[in-house]
Amino acid sequence: MTPGEPLIRWDWLLSHAGEIGQRVGEHLELTLIAVAVGFLIAFLLSLAALRVPRLYGPISWTTGILYTIPSLALFALLIPYTGLSLLTAEIGLVSYTLLILIRNIVAGVRGVPAEVREAARGMGYTDRQILWRVELPLALAVIFAGIRIATITTIGLVTVTALIGQGGMGYFILLGIQLFFSTALIVGALGSVILAVLADGSLVLVQRALTPWTHTP
Amino acid sequence: MPRCHAGAMAERRGATVELREVTKRYGDTVAVDHLSLTAPAGRITVLIGPSGCGKTTSLRMVNRLIEPTSGEILIDGHNVLQEDPTQLRRRIGYVIQQVGLFPHRTIGQNVATVPQLLGWPDARIRARVDELLSLIGFDPARMRDRYPAQLSGGERQRVGVARAMAAEPPLMLMDEPFGAVDPIVRERLQNEFLQLQRTQGITVVFVTHDIDEAIKLGDRVAIMRTGKLVQFAPPAELLAHPADDFVARFVGSDRGLKRLSLLTVGGAELDPPIDPSRLDGAPVLSPAMSLRDALAEMLASETQTGMVRDGDRYLGVLTLSHIGRLLRSEQPK
Repeated sequence: MTPGEPLIRWDWLLSHAGEIGQRVGEHLELTLIAVAVGFLIAFLLSLAALRVPRLYGPISWTTGILYTIPSLALFALLIPYTGLSLLTAEIGLVSYTLLILIRNIVAGVRGVPAEVREAARGMGYTDRQILWRVELPLALAVIFAGIRIATITTIGLVTVTALIGQGGMGYFILLGIQLFFSTALIVGALGSVILAVLADGSLVLVQRALTPWTHTP
Repeated sequence: MPRCHAGAMAERRGATVELREVTKRYGDTVAVDHLSLTAPAGRITVLIGPSGCGKTTSLRMVNRLIEPTSGEILIDGHNVLQEDPTQLRRRIGYVIQQVGLFPHRTIGQNVATVPQLLGWPDARIRARVDELLSLIGFDPARMRDRYPAQLSGGERQRVGVARAMAAEPPLMLMDEPFGAVDPIVRERLQNEFLQLQRTQGITVVFVTHDIDEAIKLGDRVAIMRTGKLVQFAPPAELLAHPADDFVARFVGSDRGLKRLSLLTVGGAELDPPIDPSRLDGAPVLSPAMSLRDALAEMLASETQTGMVRDGDRYLGVLTLSHIGRLLRSEQPK
């Protein structure tokens, strides 16, 4: 850091407000696509694992391996195929959401009390109706817990994709490192943290609205 | 609920359920062994026996939650094995011990479950839900929109029964429905259920392991052991003439006392009225009282007798020897 330079240069913040806003939008877009696509894939894989319990082991193992690959290495591995693109970023981001989402969807559905399932079957629900009208609604709280963790980790990970020309707030972090410029570094890091906190709070509100039975007096 | 409506429903007859040589095998184990019995229409048939005797398996074969290995199950003459299981279950009420209310649906939505599956119009469903909530002693406006978690165990059990009755099924299957509540609530639920069953005229097949419950609720009681039917008889018959040692042990060495709970003071012979001053401290008994309760009060009093009164009318004096004679007159030879 340049000596004599203040930790935060407010004038820079003001003059770059437009660009910061644009990067925030980018950051949210990257996150939203990753969590949405991740959820879709996780949901389908979870349904398969719930129907054919033998599949759960391999699915869990594969997504677990994906989760452990260092993100930098994964992006580096993908660049020869998909370049410095949004697709490269999303392949990585989506992969990291799968393990958490699948675990929570499956655990949520399996956690539905046996007597509730038994009553539903005894009253003449088909298997499909049991899944959609009983098991999935009751699993919502656990599924949402998974979506919250996936969203927060994705918001953090998005900053890394700055290295392949994406990155939202990660752009400022990279800028800060390259120029020894603390203001940009703080904007990037703090911005990402604030986004995560706000996103988590909004998801809690959505969950409460969707599961009124969990918080009645 | 309007009275005329109750009368109309009482005329609706329950279905007759007939099990013919029904067997269920799991590998080498035989859970139910050539079981044949008929549950008469509009009556409560209780299946009872020690755990593992096959009573729950038998019950669950009626709505095909379990498929029999062989044999036939007929409801009003129709073989259930030839019907679509889902459609079949929508026409049969089903209540289990843990109730299994849907936690994410309100009480009203829970009760509406089967009518909704059957595609009833909304207005009819709403009317039926309110009618049932009233029947189980709830104020519909107050309870309709609550969630199961906001109810006590006894209230949840009542809702479970209402939910099973919602689509006016001719048959209800109940698997230890009152087993998970405390004894005081259980007794109240049993009484309410008996009354409900009598007014609605539904056929009920009821599984329990509690012989007192079987005697109280059952019009007929089937005692099972290792998958076989040991005795099938009305409760009084079971207590007076147990088919074998197993049944005698199962109904308990106090079966004489249990029989007293089925008999009333009004059915006993009485000594003619004597001067009430000589019966100082004797309990006052009404003809509708069970002999078991009467006996308990008489034993606790100094005179060991009871004064039987029907309102203002003094009918006579009940003594211990009268009760003994009544029991002996129906003993097995």
